[in-house]
Amino acid sequence: MSINEALHAYVAEEMSFSDGEVIIEEGSRGAWVYVILKGSAKVKKRTSRGMVTLDILREGEVVGEIAFLEGGKAARSASVVAAEGPVRVGLLDTERLLSDYAGVDPELKPLIQSLIKKLRDTTSKVCSMVVSIE
Amino acid sequence: MRKDTSGTNKRKLLKYQKGEQIIKQGDYGVSIYKVVSGKVQVFRQSKGAEVPLATLEVGEIIGEMVFLKKDAELRSASVKALEDTELEVWHPRDLVKKYEQTSLALKVIIDQALGRLERMNKFMDKLAAKVPKEESKSKEKWHFLNSRRRFYRKKVDIECKYVPSNRPKGFPSFLKGRIKDISMSGLSIEVFPKNEAATPHKEGDSFHIDTVLPNGQDLNVTAEIVSVKKKRGKIRLGMKFRELPDYYGTRKTLGFFLMP
Repeated sequence: MSINEALHAYVAEEMSFSDGEVIIEEGSRGAWVYVILKGSAKVKKRTSRGMVTLDILREGEVVGEIAFLEGGKAARSASVVAAEGPVRVGLLDTERLLSDYAGVDPELKPLIQSLIKKLRDTTSKVCSMVVSIE
Repeated sequence: MRKDTSGTNKRKLLKYQKGEQIIKQGDYGVSIYKVVSGKVQVFRQSKGAEVPLATLEVGEIIGEMVFLKKDAELRSASVKALEDTELEVWHPRDLVKKYEQTSLALKVIIDQALGRLERMNKFMDKLAAKVPKEESKSKEKWHFLNSRRRFYRKKVDIECKYVPSNRPKGFPSFLKGRIKDISMSGLSIEVFPKNEAATPHKEGDSFHIDTVLPNGQDLNVTAEIVSVKKKRGKIRLGMKFRELPDYYGTRKTLGFFLMP
C-alpha cells in the first residue's frame, strides 16, 4: 500500500523504531497519529495470558486514530509495536488534524464517534475471544 | 410492531418492544438510527453463534458504517431491542455532501478505521467458529490478577534482585534491576541490557523478584514478563504477578504499601 498523498502532506516529523520497539503503549495517554512510511507494526493487547497480537499494520496505514478521534480523553486502546524494523513512521500534524476535525459538520461527528467506539469495543471483544480459545 | 409518530426534519420515530429485532446483519439498509429511549444490543451472527458487540444507550448511533463506507449497503451486524426502545431514524442523503467536504486526510483515517473494523469483524467470525458454543457467552471470571489496569500503580525507584523461576545451573546468584512502578497485579522493572547475557528477557518468562520496600518490608514475588521495551540504553520489563500467596502476607504488605 502506498502512502496516501493527502496524509503524507500532514507528516510533521519522521521517526524510526527498531524491531520490537513500542510506538504506542496501551493504557498511555496521547493523541498523536502516525502513518507507517516503511516497514510494519503489530497491534497488541495485554491479556491475562500475555500479549495478544490482533492486527498487523503496513505501509500507508495510520496508527493511533482511535485515541485521536476520541479527543485524547481515553487511554490508548492497544499497543503498537514495530515489527519489521527499522520501521519509519511519520508523525502527523495534530494541530492541523484537530482543526480539520473541528470543521467537520456537527451532524457527522456522532457518526464518526460511533464508528470509533465500535472499533474500540470490537477490538477488545476479539481480544477476549482469543484469550478464551487459547 | 413499529409506529411512525412524527416527522421532524425528515426524521421518524420508531418504537420497538423488548426483544424485537431492529436490524438484521446482511440486510440492505442505509438509514441511520439514534437511540432516543431504551437500550439496544448490537451483535454479530458469526457461524451461527451470536456474539454480542455492544449495548447502545440513549444518544448512541446505529448505521454509521454503511454511511461512511463508500458503496456499502449491507448491514454488518444485527441489532435488537433490550428494552422497550424508541429510535429516531433518518436517511443520510443530506449528509453525503457534508461528508464530501470533510478534509481528505480525515477521510483517509476514517476509511482505515472502517477497514480495521471490518478486519476485526472477520477475525471475530473465525474465532467464533472455534469458541465452544457454551463459552461464546463469555462468562469471564474476574480475578484480581487478570485486571491489571484496574489497580493503582505506584511510581517507585527501588533496587531489586531477580532470578529466572526455573533457574538454570551456573546462573549467577541474582541479577539486579530497579522497580519503577508497582501495583497489586504487577510491576515494571528496568534492567541493563548486559543482563540479557545471563538470560533473555522474553514475553512469558517468569522470574522471582526480591526487594525491600521503602517502608522496610520484604517483598518476594513471582512475575511473568508481559512486555519488553527498550529505551535509552535500558530495558523496561512490564510484569504481571503470577502468584501473590497470602500466607507470606505478600498481599497485605503490598496492599499497605500501595495505599495512596
